Amino acid sequence: MEDIAGLLKKFQKELSAGTVSLVLLAVLGQSRQPLYGYQIAKRLEEVGEGVLAGKQSALYPVLRNLEAYGLLDSEVEPSVSGPPRRYYRITKLGRETLREWVAAWSATRDSVDTVLQGGVI
Amino acid sequence: MNMPRTIAEYLQQLRTALSGADPALIQDALYDAEEHLRAELQEHPGMSQEEMLAKVVGSYGSPEEVAEIYRDQEIKIQRALRPPPPPKRHSLLGRFFGVAADPRTWGSLFYMLLALATGLIYFIWVLAGVSMSAGLALLVIGIPFIVLFFGTVRGLSLMEGRIVETMLGVRMPRRPPYQLAGKSLMSRIGAMFTDARTWSTMLYMVLMLPLGIIYFTITVILLSVSIAFVGSPLAWTFGDFDHELATINWGYGMHVPTLGDALVLCVIGVLLLFATLHLVRALGRMHGQIAKSLLVSRSSN
Repeated sequence: MEDIAGLLKKFQKELSAGTVSLVLLAVLGQSRQPLYGYQIAKRLEEVGEGVLAGKQSALYPVLRNLEAYGLLDSEVEPSVSGPPRRYYRITKLGRETLREWVAAWSATRDSVDTVLQGGVI
Repeated sequence: MNMPRTIAEYLQQLRTALSGADPALIQDALYDAEEHLRAELQEHPGMSQEEMLAKVVGSYGSPEEVAEIYRDQEIKIQRALRPPPPPKRHSLLGRFFGVAADPRTWGSLFYMLLALATGLIYFIWVLAGVSMSAGLALLVIGIPFIVLFFGTVRGLSLMEGRIVETMLGVRMPRRPPYQLAGKSLMSRIGAMFTDARTWSTMLYMVLMLPLGIIYFTITVILLSVSIAFVGSPLAWTFGDFDHELATINWGYGMHVPTLGDALVLCVIGVLLLFATLHLVRALGRMHGQIAKSLLVSRSSN
């Protein structure tokens, strides 16, 4: 039984690794105002456990990566308590990339669904 | 490991869990964690740090889990962001000329040329800042001025880090080092003075002027000499060498240069050009290490 749980955890981790960039880009694409890491984490928390496969710390390095690719822009704003917050917003390149990614995701999801429903036989 | 009770304790445990990792990675991880924890604390004003942390270990992750995630992520970053390593060449000739195919070589070359400008700016900035701080220290405005000046030095250090990472390919922090907020203003100002990194950063900036001059001079001289040598057959073709205005001496006596001399010079130029690229790449690697050791705080404290 332990084995199945372990394998499930590994699978969830892999799924999340593949989708977290898409999800973060989509969240920022839909948001009207720039968001900081904590806000994004809380929004995803409401959606459910599935997206980040557990730990919210995983999203910060991904945000930084997306910024390095030029898909996101960020600026620091001082806050009253604690360190200044880094607000992220999507760039034009980010929006174009998001469109491509959504199309790729839909295609993948559709074909996986077809297979799972026995469509190949 | 026992449960962290304060944010400082959490960050300390995270630092321990990450010990041995790249200092730049540690700095980024601590910055992210502190931002998240403080946001959480602000969101729930009624909660004590201890209660909040107990909750956060479930959502954000315990220090060990966070360390694990960052280590994993770092491997992916290294794979995705780095240019593919140049193909390994085994022959001596391939290794010598292969330097031109290494993107790091060209990055270093550009850095060497830029170093004069940045070195000059850093040097003047630090020198003017330090002397003005010393002068104003007697007055009321002295302390705010020093704090402001230290702040700009940190900003410059982060910027230099970005330059070094893009051009020399040495991983540098993307976020400033975290500071224990919540302490009094005076103790934070005091921490700026006792932080060894503040001083090593200034040392680096002062050092950048002589280094920049050396890098720039070496690169420009070697490049122009080798390019002039490479172009010598062209000069011979279009130049006027009949009136003994120019002579050449290989050690066997002077004579008016012939096409053969020009071709030999051209070959020497090509060899010198590639040797220069090797030197530049090695200098770049060395400078990357200097930058890392002076600009990034070690995880010892």
